[in-house]
Amino acid sequence: MNPMIDQPHQDQFSAPLAKNASPKMSARNVHVHYGMTHALNDVSLDIYEDEVTALIGPSGCGKSTFLRCFNRMNEMVENAATTGEVRIDDKNIYDSKTDVVALRASVGMVFQRPNPFPKSIYDNVAYGPRLHGTAETNSDLDEIVEASLERAGLWEEVKDRLSDLGTALSDGQQQRLCIARAIAVNPQIILMDEPCSALDPIATGKIEELIEELRSGFTIVIVTHSMQQAARVSQKTVFFNQGSLIEHGPTVEIFTKPKKERTKDYIMGRYG
Amino acid sequence: MPSLPKHSLKAYDAELTELRAMISQMGGMAQSLLDEAVGALLSRDAERAMAVIADDKAIDALEVEVERLAVQTIALRAPLADDLREIICALKISSILERIGDYAKNIAKRTTALSADDVFEDVTILSEMARMASGMIETMLDAFVARDAEKASEVRDRDIRIDTLYNTLFRDMLTYMMENPKAITPSTHLLFIAKNIERIGDHTTNAAEMVYYGATGNTLDTDRQKNDSTSFTTSDEIDT
Repeated sequence: MNPMIDQPHQDQFSAPLAKNASPKMSARNVHVHYGMTHALNDVSLDIYEDEVTALIGPSGCGKSTFLRCFNRMNEMVENAATTGEVRIDDKNIYDSKTDVVALRASVGMVFQRPNPFPKSIYDNVAYGPRLHGTAETNSDLDEIVEASLERAGLWEEVKDRLSDLGTALSDGQQQRLCIARAIAVNPQIILMDEPCSALDPIATGKIEELIEELRSGFTIVIVTHSMQQAARVSQKTVFFNQGSLIEHGPTVEIFTKPKKERTKDYIMGRYG
Repeated sequence: MPSLPKHSLKAYDAELTELRAMISQMGGMAQSLLDEAVGALLSRDAERAMAVIADDKAIDALEVEVERLAVQTIALRAPLADDLREIICALKISSILERIGDYAKNIAKRTTALSADDVFEDVTILSEMARMASGMIETMLDAFVARDAEKASEVRDRDIRIDTLYNTLFRDMLTYMMENPKAITPSTHLLFIAKNIERIGDHTTNAAEMVYYGATGNTLDTDRQKNDSTSFTTSDEIDT
């Protein structure tokens, strides 16, 4: 029994929307320092399966830092130090026994700028399965590539030109290619760090539709600067400010009736 | 109520202020239409009643303006939380105020229909009802402008007293009509007028409930106390 986990942290909003009682991911008293900078201050949160959790807040509020705690990406930053507990399926991922490569395969990540490899569309998606040896035969690999592109809503647009360079696609297509690449290794969790900020409204709409489709089957956490996007795609919203988690709850509650003054002022655009 | 900080966008603040001012103006107009209509009735002044009928058009026009500005603000500013609730609240209150204007107009029309020799029995209760309804409109508007939930819930409590007065008046009128058939026409008009005022009280209460929601995000409990029992009254119950 871990006293940290068993502490009654539950308020009415940390309860899941659906039947699944235990959280997919949980953070307890997480602090992140970058050198002398205290980027994340004592954050505790439960995140549930089959729903999209949006992290919002002004630049530098700690939302992206928090996102990167779930695949230990912060470790790639020099001088970064993480304390506290981050659990996925009740396993502490900061345990010394954790296989970071396997962790990052089960936690996919999509970035702000689409970043396909300078390889063919096919090879972009096949990259992960080849690396992890998921596919036994070439036809298995073909299947994975097709299924992943299909799931990312890109198959119809690229099926006749799989050998074209991934970087030759439009920005929106590139981002969906990156999503296909992320889901090709069959992750359980997808982290998205402002996945639409470089896209036009039509490409954004496609990604948002995709997020909704991927919701069942994956646990999705998205960092977004657009409050409207958080409102459109998420079931839970978490507001960060100056490194602290200020408020979290069902998205409808946060956008119609936030409890904390700071949340209210931020989402209404009342910065004085 | 802690006052909210300003928006980064000044034009957005200006729009919300304008919306609030339009509701205040509409409310002031609705209140004065009611006062004027009842004043015309009590003083048997058909000309004053005609003016009420004409003035109601201005409220209708303002309602259209409120709708236009509210839709524009929703479209351009994507309001959230308190701002969103306030705009929705303004939209609903404006249609309630328009309705109150219609009731006042109806009172004025009935006033013009009453001839000078129609005999009225005691109208103290009616004028007291009108005075209370007018006060409720005023308090509801003050509560809206100040986003004051406390004040809004107070309006609701006052509606019960109008309902009680209406019950008394209803019974009185039935009694008069049974005693004197000549009283039937004026008494019927008076009854409808009283009913209009009672409805104004109900609508103002709904508006106050919207104000409460706008200010807090919560709804006042829906099963509010009702005291109008006239729908269930039969002539057997009237002591003559």
